Amino acid sequence: MSAKSSGLKPKGNVWAKSFLFSLLDVFAITAWGALLLKYWQTGSLNLLIHPDYFWLAIVTAVVLVLLGTLKAIQLLLTLSQRLSPRGKARNRAKLPSPVVSGHYSLFPPGWSAALLLATAILGFMVTPKVFASQTANQRGVADAITMTRSQPQAFHSSQRPEDRSLIDWVRTLNVYPEPDGYTGQKVKVQGFVVYPNEPPLPDQYILISRFVITCCAADAYPVGLPVKLDQDRKNYAPDTWLEIEGQMITETLAGKRQLTIQASSLKNIPQPENPYYY
Amino acid sequence: MNHQLNNAFTIFLSLLVEAMPFLLLGVLLSGLLLLFVDERKLVKAMPRNPILGALVGSLMGFLFPVCECGNVPVARRLLMLGVPVPVAIGFLLAAPTINPIVIWATWTAFREQWEIVVLRIVFSLLIATIVGWVFSTQRDPRPLLQATVARSMPRLEIVDKPVMADDKPMLLQSGTFLLGQAGQPRRMDASVLQASLLASSTKKPLPDRLNLFLENTVQELRELGGVLVLGSAIAAIIQAFVPRDLILGLGQGPVTSIAAMMLLATLISICSTVDSFFALSFASTFTSGSLLAFLVFGPMINFKGIGLLFSVFRTKTVIYLIALPALLTFFLTLLVNLYVS
Repeated sequence: MSAKSSGLKPKGNVWAKSFLFSLLDVFAITAWGALLLKYWQTGSLNLLIHPDYFWLAIVTAVVLVLLGTLKAIQLLLTLSQRLSPRGKARNRAKLPSPVVSGHYSLFPPGWSAALLLATAILGFMVTPKVFASQTANQRGVADAITMTRSQPQAFHSSQRPEDRSLIDWVRTLNVYPEPDGYTGQKVKVQGFVVYPNEPPLPDQYILISRFVITCCAADAYPVGLPVKLDQDRKNYAPDTWLEIEGQMITETLAGKRQLTIQASSLKNIPQPENPYYY
Repeated sequence: MNHQLNNAFTIFLSLLVEAMPFLLLGVLLSGLLLLFVDERKLVKAMPRNPILGALVGSLMGFLFPVCECGNVPVARRLLMLGVPVPVAIGFLLAAPTINPIVIWATWTAFREQWEIVVLRIVFSLLIATIVGWVFSTQRDPRPLLQATVARSMPRLEIVDKPVMADDKPMLLQSGTFLLGQAGQPRRMDASVLQASLLASSTKKPLPDRLNLFLENTVQELRELGGVLVLGSAIAAIIQAFVPRDLILGLGQGPVTSIAAMMLLATLISICSTVDSFFALSFASTFTSGSLLAFLVFGPMINFKGIGLLFSVFRTKTVIYLIALPALLTFFLTLLVNLYVS
């Protein structure tokens, strides 16, 4: 509803403007609720936040949609009241308390809601992508991390070696760092390929990696183990998801003795629905 | 480039998705507080002694468990209700840390380094109390605040007519306009709305109060949400485009590690309810003092929140609010690095 086309007097013009701003609020808030619901339904929440916080996002989505709906109902009521001649008087009687001028917002009116709405629309258009090898390199793949948080439930020393996931290996290694202690143990892990650039590995080696998140993608950090291939690594491009079977050996890489997987079989796998570890 | 843009976008969205629930919770709680708690009694009960007041304010996070997305609106409201300055400042700085949710999260993360949990609480309380006490030299809070917030203070008579301060036509003025009025439109924004809520909250019938609650929630969500979007965007861009090595490389020594962690805390703007898990991933590479600096300073001052501070306080106040906690955090955590660990 444009102020000009409605042909209202100046005060009606202002009314139309404020109506549009309120409408923008409704759209912005509802769109965010809908976006969160979409992420939940499509499984994209997996890529963004830790599953422990899913319920927060879902409850928020429902509350936002509810708020948007209530606000929309309120708007429709005022609109219908304004359009009916009898409503005017009632409306006037209901005028809210006195008002002083001024605005505490950093933004000009409408901008804030527009920013929220634009972000939500962008969220609908662009699918969040899972982090890949380039990010792993940028963040530095660690093979020894301190993970005290989820160790109790995830770490079992009685576990069969071939049942350990990549993060289990890294955690185990963190507790007993001596690589020779694992020599000959069977390995079967899944992850994506990284060609590390710091320190670089020889052409016969790749790094098999996963990202670990503790709260959301903003704190994702990569963990990984070197893999020794029996050929040049160019058949396994960075970011390829692999299931690697083999056994543990100790290699000296970049001047450091490291637990390394001697691969006997490498199988291409699709990217898991839930690519992170927690 | 394209790849980094993708990363930045994912980080941006993840920060928003993670922060939105806490923002909403903060806004809803502050609205409920407004409508269903007789704050004037609460305000009257506040100690006038500056140090005691600052301490009580710092502990009020137990009453209103907000994270740093939600503390600014509540602190603003407390100020507008006439709470003494030290109480409000103490609350502003400590509430994001000194509340049950955050303490529980920190304990979960640092079970095996309980001194981090204890020192986080002690340092946050200490810093908030000291800064609150410093601000007590300013008895009248109005010079500290943005003009619009100051004007909504209770002791000031609210102008009971829709005349604006200047003669510009309504349309040319910035602001949000209240809808549903047949005659002269009235400008409406969150601070004004709160002032009017304040005047009426205990007298109005329930449906009207709920209506105002809805209005207040939408206003605050929109205003603070816009700032959150900007802050998350900046944090995401820095994370994706500045190599972490550059930030982390700054710090192994007792001094530089603290400086680096304080910088990281400010840049990353991660919510205080979850920042301890984030800090945990640095536990092996960084000094305990620097982890503490991250956990103490981050919830007080970060990119996401600085914009919110500017919406309430004048520039000079904000500079003090950043500098004092920064110096105190630095000093206290340096002591930890040098004498404890």
